[in-house]
Amino acid sequence: MTTTKEPRRAKAPALPSVAPAGQAEEPRIPDPLELDAAATAPRPEYYGFDIVPPPDRPPQTEREREIYTLGDGEMLVNMGPQHPSTHGVMRLVLKVRGEVVIDLDPVLGYLHRGIEKLCENATYTTVMTYVDPMDYMSAMHNEHAPAIAFEKLYGIKAPRRAEYIRALVVELNRVFSHGLMMGFLALDMGGLTPILYSFINRDQVVDLLSAISGQRMLFNFFRVGGVNFDVNDEFLSRLGTWRAGVLDTIEMNEKILTENEIFGARTKGMGVLSGQQAIDLGVSGPNLRASGVPFDVRRAHPYSIYPELEFEVITQEGGDTYARYLQRVAELKQSIHLIDQIVDRMPHGPVQAQVPGIIRPRPGRAYAAVESPRGLYSVYAISDGGPNPYRFRMRDPSFISLQVLPKLMPGHLIADTMAVMASFDPIMGGVDK
Amino acid sequence: MAVRTPAKSSKALLEPAATELMVTAPQASTMLTTPPPDQIIIPDAAGDDPLLAEFGMEAHPQGGFHGLLEVIPTKADYILDLIRANSLWPLLSGLSCCAIEMMSTATPMNDMDRFGMFPMRASPRQADVLIVAGTLTTKMAGPLVRLWAQMPEPKWCVAMGTCTTSGGRFKRSYSVVQGVDRVMPVDVYVPGCPPRPEGLIYGMMKLHELVKQRRGEWATYADRGPELRSWEGDVR
Amino acid sequence: MGHLRRPRSRAALLGRRRPLTAPASAGPLVRLLTDRFAGTVTDLWTDEDTVEVQVPGDQIVFTLRTLRDDPDFAFFFLADAAAVDYGVGNRFEVVYHLHSDRHPTWLRVRVRVNRENPVTPSVTSLWEGAMFHEREMYDMMGIVFEGNRDLRRIYMSPDYRSFPQRKDFLLPDDAADSPSAGNRPLERPETWDLTRLGDAAAHRDEPGGPL
Repeated sequence: MTTTKEPRRAKAPALPSVAPAGQAEEPRIPDPLELDAAATAPRPEYYGFDIVPPPDRPPQTEREREIYTLGDGEMLVNMGPQHPSTHGVMRLVLKVRGEVVIDLDPVLGYLHRGIEKLCENATYTTVMTYVDPMDYMSAMHNEHAPAIAFEKLYGIKAPRRAEYIRALVVELNRVFSHGLMMGFLALDMGGLTPILYSFINRDQVVDLLSAISGQRMLFNFFRVGGVNFDVNDEFLSRLGTWRAGVLDTIEMNEKILTENEIFGARTKGMGVLSGQQAIDLGVSGPNLRASGVPFDVRRAHPYSIYPELEFEVITQEGGDTYARYLQRVAELKQSIHLIDQIVDRMPHGPVQAQVPGIIRPRPGRAYAAVESPRGLYSVYAISDGGPNPYRFRMRDPSFISLQVLPKLMPGHLIADTMAVMASFDPIMGGVDK
Repeated sequence: MAVRTPAKSSKALLEPAATELMVTAPQASTMLTTPPPDQIIIPDAAGDDPLLAEFGMEAHPQGGFHGLLEVIPTKADYILDLIRANSLWPLLSGLSCCAIEMMSTATPMNDMDRFGMFPMRASPRQADVLIVAGTLTTKMAGPLVRLWAQMPEPKWCVAMGTCTTSGGRFKRSYSVVQGVDRVMPVDVYVPGCPPRPEGLIYGMMKLHELVKQRRGEWATYADRGPELRSWEGDVR
Repeated sequence: MGHLRRPRSRAALLGRRRPLTAPASAGPLVRLLTDRFAGTVTDLWTDEDTVEVQVPGDQIVFTLRTLRDDPDFAFFFLADAAAVDYGVGNRFEVVYHLHSDRHPTWLRVRVRVNRENPVTPSVTSLWEGAMFHEREMYDMMGIVFEGNRDLRRIYMSPDYRSFPQRKDFLLPDDAADSPSAGNRPLERPETWDLTRLGDAAAHRDEPGGPL
């Protein structure tokens, strides 16, 4: 051992002394009765983990001043960009009194990727890869609108078989998107089973779509002048198997949710949106039709082969969360019926018109709108004669639907905000572009 | 000379003092009774301990191989690593499209629960792995780094998708962080746009290997201290 | 000697461009617009599914209110409000797309906005749903909407200083290399030589596989 050095002593840690250094005092254990006085003394404002103080710059606008001015007993609660709801990154600043929401400010932009600006530097075919991840749950619709707009600019029409394939994949996309909405609605209210069933359905449909387009989610399937690949045997065999089982898969979810007492109590009468209010706010799609307004882009401004298919515009009454849920279930079944019709009537022919790889449309403007599972999704494209679009503007329905929140939420409890928001089915990729 | 044998049986773990007595063999006879408190010999610095000096471990302030973790992990470490690897709880940090594929990995068709990873914790305090799934934008970078800082160690980061690996298809965008490794240390990169669920599971298996072999960023991260590169100037 | 025409495939026939649709014959909507808004509306243009008009900035709220409330028009739904930047010396434009149940076409209303002083009236008094549209147009282009109660940035952080979708905001890195700046390598055959990219690309087609 070390014989030359002395053994070191263990130094005992010194207790922190409460008294100043001059006096040697024992640390005081506070008397239990004294805590009462301390506990009842007036305390400064408490900022907890998820309570956000008002922003420290002066409010820029009237509305901001309205939201961030706290009255008596009111508090700001931050449902921050990362929260267990699965809609993506959105921040809601709630002004609450107790548990009741008084006002709401959605803060967006946490997923803003600058897609419109990037598309101005992309060729017309490359634009398809940029628009896919916008509304990533309905990527086929995201590509459908630019395809129609560019075809209008270029002055061509896609072949009929291509239009039928487009309608087929678009309706398949609608099936799994609505199916997932059912699962997310239940998940936001705490039910963990329906989301698993929804994902079973989604994975089956996505296997189908990957057989035809090669990709599970961001398909890059549409081209100016048609679609990329034709229907193949693998797709047809999977389609047959899927079609035989899909109604049972949806039934699994419906059995849990539609007649469920708890689900009903949490959704009926919540977030009631009247038809006039919905139109005023720009809401479209299943959200609008659940409030009773029969506006469906497939019937109002027909595109593709929808004039030849038989379907009705479904509406619900009431405009509450339950009506929006029922609307989507009904549209899901309608989409399956549409898929049957499309598969029956699909003609033979080419699937892509022969256009050059880099197209140069004549200078002009074109507007194309499609019915996405979230509403009216439209593209306004301006061409200047070059290989890139001069202006490529996308109008996303989820973005506009979010304006509904400050109008509907006041009066509800915090836990209901998620349920009402889930019933509008926003996808943050589309909201933030 | 005293030789410290690596613990070969679990009995050695239960009696750490036994190695101490083995070390001080010449004085073992004097230690049969409880020594008085002022004569407890505790090596104050690693440099004082000849045992560490013999193995060249004295340079590290806590006595170990500098820069690496223990070369011969004990059974306890091995079991700890197995436990950690087989129950890595991810943080629900799905930002965009890859989040849907991450959820698809967690659901019955591609079950991540078989690897112990099903409970997606909403709170960073309870999570082990931050699977960054989706495009990271400059506005979201602040909250995400705060989430990473709130996660207790040991923690790992998986960059899922090409957007988090390198900016992905948004390479020239004005508001996308070109790869999440500009703001936090990443252990596993899973490329794909989006990666298939099988791909994410492959990435998680690689993470299991990293955890069991004590490689990866958190090992050196814990050792050296956090070195987060500033994201304000260097994101593009 | 006649030309021997090669039979073209059906796909090629489909890819041939039709002539631009001539302005359609005056449908009821066009007649109504010319009657009712004779002085205000200029530059009427139609396509097979869109009627486009241009309206001066000071008349826009009145025009849109009439289009919305008048039962002959009944354009109750504002589908889209977009902003376009026509370049640095040029103008901005705000484009509204309206939908009506009574008319089968879309109605596109374009408003010119001065680029040096981009102020235009807001339509949030007509449609509350225009609020996010206008916030986005302000955030991305810098167009100020008078009468909007909440004109602040929506996508970028509140302290962001530029307007990204303007034409003079160039994407960093390779704005100079982008096709819009004139760099179009796919159109220049001399750039199709892969050997200049290095060994791997040059030896790509040789047998033997990678490495």
